[in-house]
Amino acid sequence: MKMLPKILFLVVVSSLAGGGRSAIAELSLLPDERLSEVSGQGGIYLSGDISINEMGGPVENSYFGRCSDAGKKCGARFAYRLKETGGWMVLDEIRGNFAFEGLTLRVRNIDSGFGGDGELFNRDVLELGLPNTVRFNDVRFKIASSSTARPTDPGFQQTDIFSVEMRGEVIMEGNLLVFPTGNP
Amino acid sequence: MVMTLVNARCALVSIMIYGGLISIPTAYGDLKSLDDAAMSDISGQSGITLEMDLGVSADSVSYFDDGKGIHLEGFRVGSATDPNGQAYHLVMIDIGNDASLNLDYLVEDRRIEFGDIRLAGAPGVSMGGLFFDHSLQGTFRLRSGGALGGSGYTFDSAYTMTGGRLGYRTNGNEFFLDDITMDVEALGVTLDVVGSTLQLRAPRVVGSWEVGAIRFSGNPLNHGVSADVSSGLTLPSYGGMSGHFDLTSATDIQAGGRDGEGLRIDSETTIHSASFLYHDDGNVVALRDITGYYDVNDLRIDVTTDPKGREALGLTLGGVQGEFNVGAVEMGGNGKSLGQVNVSFILEDRIFNGESYRNAVFLQGGGHPDAGPQGLRLATEWSLRLSDLSYTEDGNRVIFSGLQSWGRGDVTVNVTREGVKNGTQFFDGLRVGFEGIKAGYRINGLRVGSDDAPLQGGTELLLALGFYPAYEFELDGHVTLGPGGASGEGITINSDIQISNGRAAIIAAPYDSGSGEAPQKGLWITDLDYDGHLRSMTVDVTEEGLAIVKGEAWSSMDIGNLRVGDKLAGASFGRFVLQKYELGSSMTIVPGGAGEVCAGGVGGTESACTASGGVWENRGEEGITVKLKQILARAVSDDKKNAFTWETNRKTDASGNPINGSGNQLVLNDIYTSDGGDFDGDGVDDNTFGVRTDLAVDVYRTRVVKKEDGADSLGVVGSRGDEKIMDSSAPEGYRYVADPGQSDQANRPLGFAVKAESRFKELSINNIDLVHPVGGAQTAVYGVKMQNFDIKANLTATPIP
Repeated sequence: MKMLPKILFLVVVSSLAGGGRSAIAELSLLPDERLSEVSGQGGIYLSGDISINEMGGPVENSYFGRCSDAGKKCGARFAYRLKETGGWMVLDEIRGNFAFEGLTLRVRNIDSGFGGDGELFNRDVLELGLPNTVRFNDVRFKIASSSTARPTDPGFQQTDIFSVEMRGEVIMEGNLLVFPTGNP
Repeated sequence: MVMTLVNARCALVSIMIYGGLISIPTAYGDLKSLDDAAMSDISGQSGITLEMDLGVSADSVSYFDDGKGIHLEGFRVGSATDPNGQAYHLVMIDIGNDASLNLDYLVEDRRIEFGDIRLAGAPGVSMGGLFFDHSLQGTFRLRSGGALGGSGYTFDSAYTMTGGRLGYRTNGNEFFLDDITMDVEALGVTLDVVGSTLQLRAPRVVGSWEVGAIRFSGNPLNHGVSADVSSGLTLPSYGGMSGHFDLTSATDIQAGGRDGEGLRIDSETTIHSASFLYHDDGNVVALRDITGYYDVNDLRIDVTTDPKGREALGLTLGGVQGEFNVGAVEMGGNGKSLGQVNVSFILEDRIFNGESYRNAVFLQGGGHPDAGPQGLRLATEWSLRLSDLSYTEDGNRVIFSGLQSWGRGDVTVNVTREGVKNGTQFFDGLRVGFEGIKAGYRINGLRVGSDDAPLQGGTELLLALGFYPAYEFELDGHVTLGPGGASGEGITINSDIQISNGRAAIIAAPYDSGSGEAPQKGLWITDLDYDGHLRSMTVDVTEEGLAIVKGEAWSSMDIGNLRVGDKLAGASFGRFVLQKYELGSSMTIVPGGAGEVCAGGVGGTESACTASGGVWENRGEEGITVKLKQILARAVSDDKKNAFTWETNRKTDASGNPINGSGNQLVLNDIYTSDGGDFDGDGVDDNTFGVRTDLAVDVYRTRVVKKEDGADSLGVVGSRGDEKIMDSSAPEGYRYVADPGQSDQANRPLGFAVKAESRFKELSINNIDLVHPVGGAQTAVYGVKMQNFDIKANLTATPIP
C-alpha cells in the first residue's frame, strides 16, 4: 500500500481535479428547494504585490532614516538571541518588493489521483495553489551578529556577515497541501 | 379579555378622543403640517372650544388574557414638568357640512407614564417604567365611510410635536430620548371592519423627526429632566438622531392570540423614501435614500408563559419578509459615502441542525438579577430562513447570498449605574445582557456584479471585514452603552463577553452545493472558548469618520482544535490560544477607498507607475478605509498579556477528548510594541506608536488568469494564462480570453481590492518557550526584536474561478 507521506506540509507539483462544482443560481431570495440547485466551491484567489520599506520605515533616529538619507539605514531589522546573556542574530536592512498572481486558498478532499494513493488517503486538506510566477524586485537583507538588540543601545557593535540581493522571477507551480497528522 | 381601571382620578373633564386616542392612529403616519387649503377644508368657522387642564392617574391599569394579567402600575397623565400638575389642552371642535368631525388641538406640557409594568404571575420583579413627554399642535378630521363603503371611517391627521421626551427607567436610573420634535401628516387613513378583522389603511404617511439628544441619568432624584437636579449640569448625551419617512401601510387587526385570547396583527408597509442620521457633536453617520418594504405575517400578542414556563408578554411571529435599500452610507464631516447597501430577508420557522426554530420574543420583568428588581428580560428565539446582503460602491456590487441565522436565549436590558451590586460589576448606561444564548449563522456563497450572476464560493472575503463566513456559538456576558465619547457627545462601551463551544469557519464551502444541505467543509476554529473584556471604549463620529478608541482591552481566544474538513470530525492541527492585551488602541473608519493606486509598481503618477511595470488604477470615490492602531502592552498578569500558544500531542479523557494543557506547547510569550526607547524619561519605554495599519477596501475589477490548460470546475475551457472575462451571454456567465482588449478588460471579475500599509517602530517577543507536560518550560529564544517595519501591499481577492 502506498500512502501519501505523513508529513505536516506536502508540496504536490501537480494539479488534481477540482472540488465541488459551482452552479448558477438566481439572486432573489431562494426557498429551500431552490437552494438545492445552487452549487459552488469555497476559497479565494489572491493577486498583488507586497513591498517592505519602499521609502524607509517609521523610525527616525541616529541609525534609521529615510532611504534618501545615505547616512542612515532605511530597511527593517529583525534580531533574536538563543542565549539569555548572549549576542543577537540579526537580519538587517530588509527591503524589497515582490508580486504574484493567482495564489489560491481553499479546502479540498483528496480521494483520487496520486497514482492511486489519493483513494487510500481520502482526507480533507488545506490547499494553497501556488502562483505560477513570483516576481522579486530588489529584495535585499544582511545577515549580521550584534551585541545589542537595538542599534541605538549603549555599547552597540555589529558584524555584517553577508548580504543577499534578489531580483527576477521564481516559478512556483502546483499546490501546497497542508493537513494535520499525529496526535492533536 | 378584561380591562380594569382601578382608583382612577380625573382632575378635570377629559375628552379622551383627542387627548390619548388620536395620537395612537397618527403614529402610523408621517408628520407634515397640512397646507392652508387642506386646513380650510377641515376647519369650520364655528363650533365648540374646550380649554382644560388634564390630570389623570391610576394605581394600575390591567389587561387580562386567558386569565393571565399584565399590570401597568402608576399610570399618570398630567404635566411633564410638575409631578402634581395638569397638562394644558385646547380643542376646537367643528362639524363640517359633510357631517365630518373636525378638531384643531393644542396640547402643552403633557406627560403620559407608567411607573412600572408587572406580570401577575411573576412576583418580585417588574419591567420598569416608561414616560412620554410632549407638546402637540395639530388637526384631526373624522368622517364616515371607509375604504370599503359607509360602515367605516376615514380620517386625516397632521400634527407637530415639540419638546418630546421618551424614557425608560429601572431601579432609579433613566435612559431617554430628549428634545424630540416631529412633524407628521397622514391623509385619507381608513378604518373598516371586514368580518372579524379591523382594517387600517394609510395610503400615505409622511413626516420628519429629530431627537436632540439621547441621555442617561444615574441619579434617582432625576425623572424626565435634561439637567441633573443635584448639580444643575446637563446630563451626558450619546448624541442625537434625525430622519424622515414616506410610507404606505396596510394593517389588519384581529382578536385571538397564539393560544386562546390575544391579538393578531398582519401588516404590509412600503417605504417610498426614508433617511436616518446619527449626530455626534455636529458630525453625522447618515443612511440616506432608504427604500424598501416589509410584510408582517401573523404576529400574535398574548399574556402567556415562555417555553421555560415563565410568565411573559409573548410576541410570536408567523413570518416577516422584506427588503431595504440604502442609497448612501455617509459618515464624517465631508459627506463622503461608503457606498450602497441592500438587504433582503425572510424570517420564518425553519429547522437548523436538527432543531426547530421560530421567531418569538417573550417580555418578562427583572433584567439582570443583581441589578435590582426592575428590568427587562427578553426570552428570545429567531429563525432567519434566508437573507441576501449586497454592498455596492462606484457601481460595483458584491452579494453575500444565502445568509441564514438561528438562535435562542435570554437578553436582559437594564439601565445601570457604575458600581458593584451583589458581586456584579455594573457600569453607567444601558446594559444589554446575554444569558445562555445559543446561536449561529452561515452564508452559502458569493455573487458578484449582478443579481443573475452565478453563485460561487468566496465568502472568506468577509474575513477582511472581520466576519467569519459561518459561526456557531454560546454567548454570555453584557455590553453596556454609556453616554459621552472621547469628547462631548458619543458612546462609551464597557463589555464582558464569553463565548463557549464556538465553531467558526475561516474557509467554508457552501452549506448546500447542489444535492441538498450538507455539512460545510472548510477550515474551522472549533471548541472555541473566548473571554473578552473592554473598558472605556469610546465611539465618536468625527470630521474624518467613525473613531473607536479602546481604553483597556484584554481577551483570550482558546481554540481547542483547528480542524480541516468537517467542523466536528475533521482532523485537527491541535490547540491554539491567542491572548491579547491592549491599552489605547484605536480604529477609525473613513469613507472612501484607495482612490488612485499603482498596483504592482511604484509611482505617484500614471506615467511613473507604468514605467515601473505597475498598473495605474482608479478605484473611485466610494469604498471603506480602516485605520488601525494596536498598542500591544507589556504583560501585567497571566490574564493581561499578549501571547500565542500552540499545543499538540494532548492526552485524552475517557470520552476521547483532548485534555488542554496535557500536551507539548510552543509559547510565544509577552509580545509587545514599543517606540524604541524611553523618550519621556519616566523609566519605561514609550509605547504610543503601536502597530499602525491602514486598509483601503474597494470592490473592483481585477485580473484573474487561468492556471492550467483545459476545462475548469464548471467545464469552461481555456488555456493557461488566459484571462477570465465575465459575459452574461456565456453559459456559465464567463469565458476565457487569451488577449483581452479594452472592452473585455472592462468586464474582468469583481472582487475585493485591498490597499494596505502596516508600520511599527518596534515589536518584541520576550521569550519563546517549548513546554513539556512533565519537564516544564524550556526557553528556546531569549527575545525577538523587530524594528522599523513599513509593509505595503496591494492585494485583490476574488472567488476561485
